[in-house]
Amino acid sequence: MIVLKGREYFLGRYAELGRSLTGDEATSQAIRVNPFKVADGEVVEALEGEGVQLEKVPWLDHGYWVAGSPFSLGASLEYLLGLYSIQEAASQLPVQVLRPGPLDVALDMCSAPGGKTTQMAAYMENGGVLYAVDASRDRLYAAENSLERCGVTNTLVYHGDAAVIDLGTRFTKILLDAPCSGNYAADHGWFSRRTLRDVEANAERQRLLLSRAVGLLERGGRLLYSTCSLEPEEDELNVQWLLENHPVDLLPITGPGDPASTEVFGANLDTRVSRCRRIWPGEGTQGFFVAEAVRL
Amino acid sequence: MRLLARLLSDLNSGLRLREDEVIRINDQYFTLNPALRDGLKVKDGLVYAGRYLGRDRRIFEPSSLLLQELASEPGTRKVRVGRGAAWLFVCGRDVFQENVEAVEGELSPGSHCLVVYGSRCIGVGRYETVWNKMMVRNLFNLGDFLHREGSAT
Repeated sequence: MIVLKGREYFLGRYAELGRSLTGDEATSQAIRVNPFKVADGEVVEALEGEGVQLEKVPWLDHGYWVAGSPFSLGASLEYLLGLYSIQEAASQLPVQVLRPGPLDVALDMCSAPGGKTTQMAAYMENGGVLYAVDASRDRLYAAENSLERCGVTNTLVYHGDAAVIDLGTRFTKILLDAPCSGNYAADHGWFSRRTLRDVEANAERQRLLLSRAVGLLERGGRLLYSTCSLEPEEDELNVQWLLENHPVDLLPITGPGDPASTEVFGANLDTRVSRCRRIWPGEGTQGFFVAEAVRL
Repeated sequence: MRLLARLLSDLNSGLRLREDEVIRINDQYFTLNPALRDGLKVKDGLVYAGRYLGRDRRIFEPSSLLLQELASEPGTRKVRVGRGAAWLFVCGRDVFQENVEAVEGELSPGSHCLVVYGSRCIGVGRYETVWNKMMVRNLFNLGDFLHREGSAT
């Protein structure tokens, strides 16, 4: 019986996709400055004054890698004041690409623990209306704390399943940062826990969420789909499925990483899939996949 | 609302909230701007909404949003502290006279006051005197976020 799991198995899949990885790549800690409470310079100056070493992430608006800190950055005065959040660099990219504004009616479909929700609120300058939904009540407590700490006042938070929820409105921008299989760079022990069956189950659930997201979008509205999975079933193949089954087109994304693959395990995908972005682990980030679709 | 009103009064705040503009979810209180009010079409499953004011406990525990709003009100009682005392305060310690940089508003024993570092409010205390020296007893501070994060998981 072939066992579709383990370090060698998954690294072999990544090699087939054109990326040679060691399996030991790791991500660096990063923070995101909260622009509606403070200018970047003030936080950087305060933290560097306390001995924290920061390095600006060149492709992020307000992101900084933490090269060293003499204390936990989740327990500083500036953190408690909501001047910054701890958020991995690649995971700051989806909202930056979607870039909701103060006139948008936006939805964060899987919002807990709230890092991207507060980032969306920041881009919206606390204007518009931001809806946030998550199926886990426990994880929503963390989201509520983040919203309060970061000074967010434009958000309605719901406990519920985003795949079936109806909030009585349609949206101009939707973030679907989907529950996924994750990746080894951000999850020690990932290789020993994950199997291809997990990946396929997650991909199926993601397609349910994608369908719901398209159904909730206004015509011309934008959907940002992202995962922190390296597995093409959850990334390129799901985007291919989206193109085949829903009235959407893909928008080109620039930034870190590579264009998404259009040849996946022998299958040739729609060339538009290459407009999505695939970030492999290393160079200070974990793995990430980002796609932006517009509803036709 | 009773505990919230008492806190506002104790801090000499001019902020008045009408009951009909406040939404209550369990023991938490919120207000909504007009856009959110229009957008709130479904209440089932709602756990957090708009501007969070705080929650009823033994005393009213104000949100950091409300604290900041009260700190920007000219008439509220405030004690200003430096970075070291601010850090000790969010760790749960009281503020002693030698660490107070400035006092705004009239303080008498038993008065409540906001504790402010720079332009930002870090909590609420009660003015007391001990051995003829002033101190601010720590009633509530932003370190509560850490306790909540610890207990939520």
